[in-house]
Amino acid sequence: MAPQHSSSRTLRRTAISIVSLASIAALTACSSGAGGGGTSDKYGFPAVEQDAKATIEVWVDTAREPAAQAFQSANPDIPIKITTYDGGANGSGTFQTKISLLDQSGEGWPDVVWSTQQNDSSWASQEQSGQQAFAAVLNKGLVSQDVLDGFAEGALSPATVDGNVYGLRNDLAQDVVWYDQSLFDQFGYTVPTTWEEYQEIGEKVAKEHPGYIVGSVGDPWAPEVFFWGAKAPINEVTGVDTVKVDTSDEHTKKMAALIDDLISAGSMFQDSVFGADFVTKYTGKVLMLPGPSWYSGAIFQNPDNLNAAAGTIGAGLPLAWDGEDPVAGNVGGGIWYVSSHSKNLEAAAKFAEFVTTSDDYQVELAPGYPAYSTAAEAWLEKQASSGYFVGNFTENMITAASQVWDGWGYPAFSQEAIWAKAITPELASGTSLVSLLPAWQTAIENEAQVNGYTVSK
Amino acid sequence: MSRGVTPGQWLGRIVAGAVVAFFVLFFIVPIVWLLLASTKSARDLIENPPFSLGSLGSLAANFQSLVDFQNGALLSWLGNSTLYSVGALILTLLVSIPAGYALALIEFKGRRPLLMITLVVMLIPNTALVLPIFLELSAVHLIGNALAVILPFSFFPFGVYLTYIYFSTSIPADLLAAARIDGASEFRVFRQIALPLATPVVALVGFFNFVQNWNNYFLPFLMVPGRGSPVQVGLAELLSTVPAFNPTAIGVVSIQLPALALATVISIAPVLIIFLFSQRFLVEGMTAGGTKE
Amino acid sequence: MTVTSTLATAAAADLSQGRQRVARRKSVTSSQSRMGYIFVSGYTLLLLAFGVLPTLYALVLSFTKDGAFVGIDNFVRVFKDFRFFPAVGHVALFLVFWLVSLVVFVVLLALIVHAIKVRWISSGIRFFYYIPGALAGASSVMLWLFVLDPSVSPVAFILEAFGFESFVQTISPDNLPVIFTVIAFWTGAGGWIVVMYGALNNISNDILEAARIDGAGPVQTAIQIQLPLLRKWISYMGIMSLAAGTQLFVEPRMLSQASQAVVPGDYSINQLAYLFAFKQNDFSGSAAISIILLVVALGLSAFFVVRGGLFERD
Repeated sequence: MAPQHSSSRTLRRTAISIVSLASIAALTACSSGAGGGGTSDKYGFPAVEQDAKATIEVWVDTAREPAAQAFQSANPDIPIKITTYDGGANGSGTFQTKISLLDQSGEGWPDVVWSTQQNDSSWASQEQSGQQAFAAVLNKGLVSQDVLDGFAEGALSPATVDGNVYGLRNDLAQDVVWYDQSLFDQFGYTVPTTWEEYQEIGEKVAKEHPGYIVGSVGDPWAPEVFFWGAKAPINEVTGVDTVKVDTSDEHTKKMAALIDDLISAGSMFQDSVFGADFVTKYTGKVLMLPGPSWYSGAIFQNPDNLNAAAGTIGAGLPLAWDGEDPVAGNVGGGIWYVSSHSKNLEAAAKFAEFVTTSDDYQVELAPGYPAYSTAAEAWLEKQASSGYFVGNFTENMITAASQVWDGWGYPAFSQEAIWAKAITPELASGTSLVSLLPAWQTAIENEAQVNGYTVSK
Repeated sequence: MSRGVTPGQWLGRIVAGAVVAFFVLFFIVPIVWLLLASTKSARDLIENPPFSLGSLGSLAANFQSLVDFQNGALLSWLGNSTLYSVGALILTLLVSIPAGYALALIEFKGRRPLLMITLVVMLIPNTALVLPIFLELSAVHLIGNALAVILPFSFFPFGVYLTYIYFSTSIPADLLAAARIDGASEFRVFRQIALPLATPVVALVGFFNFVQNWNNYFLPFLMVPGRGSPVQVGLAELLSTVPAFNPTAIGVVSIQLPALALATVISIAPVLIIFLFSQRFLVEGMTAGGTKE
Repeated sequence: MTVTSTLATAAAADLSQGRQRVARRKSVTSSQSRMGYIFVSGYTLLLLAFGVLPTLYALVLSFTKDGAFVGIDNFVRVFKDFRFFPAVGHVALFLVFWLVSLVVFVVLLALIVHAIKVRWISSGIRFFYYIPGALAGASSVMLWLFVLDPSVSPVAFILEAFGFESFVQTISPDNLPVIFTVIAFWTGAGGWIVVMYGALNNISNDILEAARIDGAGPVQTAIQIQLPLLRKWISYMGIMSLAAGTQLFVEPRMLSQASQAVVPGDYSINQLAYLFAFKQNDFSGSAAISIILLVVALGLSAFFVVRGGLFERD
């Protein structure tokens, strides 16, 4: 370029860089540490100045909007703003994404958040981006101990980190063994109580009545049904950033062999229970289906799914290995979080309490098994009164709820995603699960490490 | 001069025709499926053949469940989308067309740097820009405001480049030079010579900008959540309530896959209608312009 | 003298095939350049606010961690991540398929459709080609969930011909580059065909008429006249597709949702950047990944800029 322009050019360039650097500095200054002003420690964490008339903003998903509306009708004097979002369904991570950004900007947090995922406490209980942990500690004064004790045993463990309770559990998703009594009568089998018996029936029905299935491993939550229920130590959280994973443990190997066996026999379905194939091929042909309690409405009583006839389906107790105690897995169960930045903690906590414990919502409107014990009993009564399910439906559901194994924790990473990525495609192409165990170990370790965990065996 | 068509030419035409027809099918078949899917019930979708027709009753039921969703959220989503897209469209045209023109046909210092910076910025992944843009808008307390979406949408380097290429290849410099020699101000040159010839590029930039804004998910997801959501964010929320993707929603919300298909069709309809009507302007070339010399 | 030389250049540029760098002595009047600044002012403001400043922020972020300068630590951490190199492989393969199929087929289809003289057929075909372009990410999730499932797909016969019997088999990792190319082409080609078609319309009929009189057939006309005049447009399409390709995000995310994570959430580099930022709260690592992508895209597009003469004016 023409030389006479170079000096003014350089000057202009310098000016531009100064301006940009200044703006970046300004931006960085804005974003860090703007969450000051912590005053009281009444609730066990620094809280901002409270205002009992401040509107509380509640994030719910569409299915939980009735809960927020029920609260509104029962408490018309508390100003509340309801915002809907996807609730974290399908692993979207929306909750964490939005809070990450809000932490960076230092303002704008909601007061109560609903999440369908159980592992949010792993990050919501930690400081990030220079801000205090998003989730408020509930058991240091915000929610009474009576209320906290009223939840089913173990219901609050996904929300508990280091002895602090960070959220209230909405519903349980304990695994039971769903079975079709009419088919059992027809074939002359007995409902199993151990995994060994389960495997025998699976082999028997494949030989005597091909085309009937006893379970499904095609969904991402298959490990939470089968391996959690088999006491496989592959998801044990031993500290804030340590996990224990061992896919070569006896329990893991036995369950993998069981699944392989039933797949090759033909009585273990390999696709999703919400896929097209399941409905077209297996309506009326599901002998057993180990799965969470919410299968009741999602699969059996659902006209767009199996739509089973009344009086045929029962919920069997969780299975045990021969000689061991039965344990149940768990697939789901959402949690309500209160924000530690809230200007109206009392109202926010009241909201969380209401939606998890009141009969108005949990018994009358909620679709899932309530985590709060008294609400659960009333909910079960309502289900049983319709006479749809056979056998000891109510007792078995309550027993299963108390048998959820505490050997599985709730780390920041998703076992479901690991299973879907590492196992499902391989299983679909015919590889045996037993031969995939080392690869599974590596996959879990890798994912744990990038999420900041140290892995031990 | 005889214009008989040789067999070689016929073969060429048949091959060309086959290619065109193949691609028509390629692009259309899934769309036809989608349209048919919106007329079925959830069970029909799974059990009946892909190209079977559903029933008017199912279509009505799907529509009803959409309208009922969150008390008519669909309508407010569509309204929001319109507001953001049209608002940004106007601002984009006001800003981008003159800029592209200047980059192409006006000599000024910084022309090349501007072009290069634009290119670099177009190449950087959006993921990196999300945080700083969020921080900027948060610092001026615009989060939740329509402007938080309209302003970033109006930054449309793709359109500026399109305009730049268009003006630099289609408008002969001699025309402008003549006008300038005659003493016309730059503004007059722009208004009286370039703009009348610019219909195609205005239509192109406007259309692509509108579609990009209408289809943008991530920016509005972060900047205007909740009631201010446009239809794409709303669709994602709808998706999260479909039992196939979120089994825990069963029993409370009754959105099934066919309703989602219908929602998809509704959400793309405005874009397609606009395309149909503006196609003529989009592809009009310089044939009417005049490069006669 | 200025007028004559510019006239000559314009005429030459219209008909020439090669690049012609004509040195021009132009007198730049200050009023002209002042108007230039005014014309670009609005855009420049937006460029600064939503382009330059955020890019610089990301650049600074990629070399710092929690405010402190850490050199290339973030980049090292990214390279050592077990998901990074697989993701690079995925994107590279996709890019090759994507770029080749887009450039070849878009130009081919635009040329053929342009040769159709019947107006309504031509616009009808372009409309059909464009329709999928109106479908954005979230809307298409259920579409691909069904189209890729051999038991319910409208193109089941194609899937079965490849030996796929279930959805999971169709989306097995080996098939993904091709599947994403198909999806990206399906949504992206229509718009570019419209652009190319418009560009073709810019070629004055006189030239085409002259070629026809000279006895050139359609293929010859295409190769010798239309393609060279489309050079800038093709290179622009090349660059944009390159950028879009390296930033592959929407398609894998969509399939990840549809398949409930069987297609993993860390398939592409851009997805990894997203995970770093929003799942691991590692904005510095995320910025590092974006800078890597930027450098690669810049390098590759330099090719198009130089060969396509994108910055020149005829």
